[in-house]
Amino acid sequence: MASQGLEYDGCNFFRQRLVLSSLSGKRVRIRNIRSKDDSPGVRDFEASFIRLLDKVTNGSRIEINQTGTVLFYQPGLLNGGSVEHDCNTQRSVGYYLEALLMLAPFMKTPLKATLRGVTNDPIDPTVDMLKTTALPLMKKFGIDGEGFDLKVVKRGMAPGGGGEVFFSCPVRRTIKPVQLTDPGKIKRIRGVAYSVRVSPQMANRLVDSARGVLNQFIPDIYIHTDHMKGAHSGKSPGFGLTLVAETLNGSFLSAEMSSTPQGQGDPSLPEDLGRNCAMLLLEEVYRGGCVDSSNQSLALLLMTLGQQDVSKVLLGPLSPYTIEFLRHIRDFFQIMFKLDVQKPSEDERKGGEKVLMTCVGVGYSNINKTLK
Amino acid sequence: MEEEEEEEGVGLRWKEGLRQKASDAFLRQQQAVPNLRKLVYGSVVQADDSEDEEQELGGLFRVSRPQTSKKYQANAVDSSRFHPDTSHQWDQEEMLNSIRDCFVTGKWDESQDAA
Repeated sequence: MASQGLEYDGCNFFRQRLVLSSLSGKRVRIRNIRSKDDSPGVRDFEASFIRLLDKVTNGSRIEINQTGTVLFYQPGLLNGGSVEHDCNTQRSVGYYLEALLMLAPFMKTPLKATLRGVTNDPIDPTVDMLKTTALPLMKKFGIDGEGFDLKVVKRGMAPGGGGEVFFSCPVRRTIKPVQLTDPGKIKRIRGVAYSVRVSPQMANRLVDSARGVLNQFIPDIYIHTDHMKGAHSGKSPGFGLTLVAETLNGSFLSAEMSSTPQGQGDPSLPEDLGRNCAMLLLEEVYRGGCVDSSNQSLALLLMTLGQQDVSKVLLGPLSPYTIEFLRHIRDFFQIMFKLDVQKPSEDERKGGEKVLMTCVGVGYSNINKTLK
Repeated sequence: MEEEEEEEGVGLRWKEGLRQKASDAFLRQQQAVPNLRKLVYGSVVQADDSEDEEQELGGLFRVSRPQTSKKYQANAVDSSRFHPDTSHQWDQEEMLNSIRDCFVTGKWDESQDAA
């Protein structure tokens, strides 16, 4: 064989490597997964992720050694279709969904995935946040139409889980190049305050404290309170807040916070959480750009896989995760971005430095998609 | 003679950490780095590779440091969350003023119009 595939060390950026491997068709070997740890090898949530990947692909070869410290992955075809998966509760559904969002447009048949597990936890982007930021972002790249949906059927907080999410996405043969260089001014702020298995009053307290901070900037704030009961409320109590700032040019910046999972540290107070979350949104506005910090890698991936034309996206400061993602894109697709730092001028009050990312797409076309 | 050398080794150990601390601080302030391209595609990766993996003690035992910087990075939590800059105090008026014009309620450019 011409290519022996790519080799990496350690379990960090696990999803990036497997996702890019699936899209590029390059084999990947990950060694030394927690090899010095007291409990070495892949964790349950990673094994669960591999199983999910196995479900949406056809003909993948996955080998893990006995201790679980070495993983070999030979990607098969992205198949899609209806998939049901019980996600491990160590990580939230967002962990799995982030990868599915990247893969879904390139499937053979439209993906209809039902994921069960923890819908909201403090580590990963929650389903509510992905729904309000990642979906509009993907629409800009031409991934749109009926059957593009993400909804929370049942909410399940960490650590117990018990939530359910439905995600469906149409397939595309090619991805449109985009020019997102001006985010525009923020015209409104929307949000969801959710609570399960606690007093419904918690959500109102969250809304009040978040409003207190944000009202000094803009009056158009509407935060929806979402209290799920009974069978739709999962197994653990908790509450949280997702805030989204929408700009005139249709960019979305978001911030979120969830209460500390039951039995893991100090319990959170809704007033503090609401205020801190509002401040997180201000931080996100300060960073700015056309894409918010947790979706940077998704935007960069879609730019890379676009048609052979120039794409430009203005981002805030690159997160460590995104920087590693850029390196992985270079490894898998041989694409390097042009990075131009835009410093704000003295009298401008528009937050910090921005980075203009420019690249020419690889002209990826979805050969899996069936012609009709 | 040997003892002396060992002592020196221990005495100099603080310097190893220093380099890592400096590079950590460098990464934290990556927003301010002008040669971003070099940061992303260049030097950082090579710097990590140069670190020695293990040291041997007396040829028989190995010093196992499970959380050395490189290993720690390689096996860190895989999350796309970007943690906020802790130096930003969002209850200070100065900080709030720095983003006023990001909102429609702020000042508009000459060329643009709110309508």
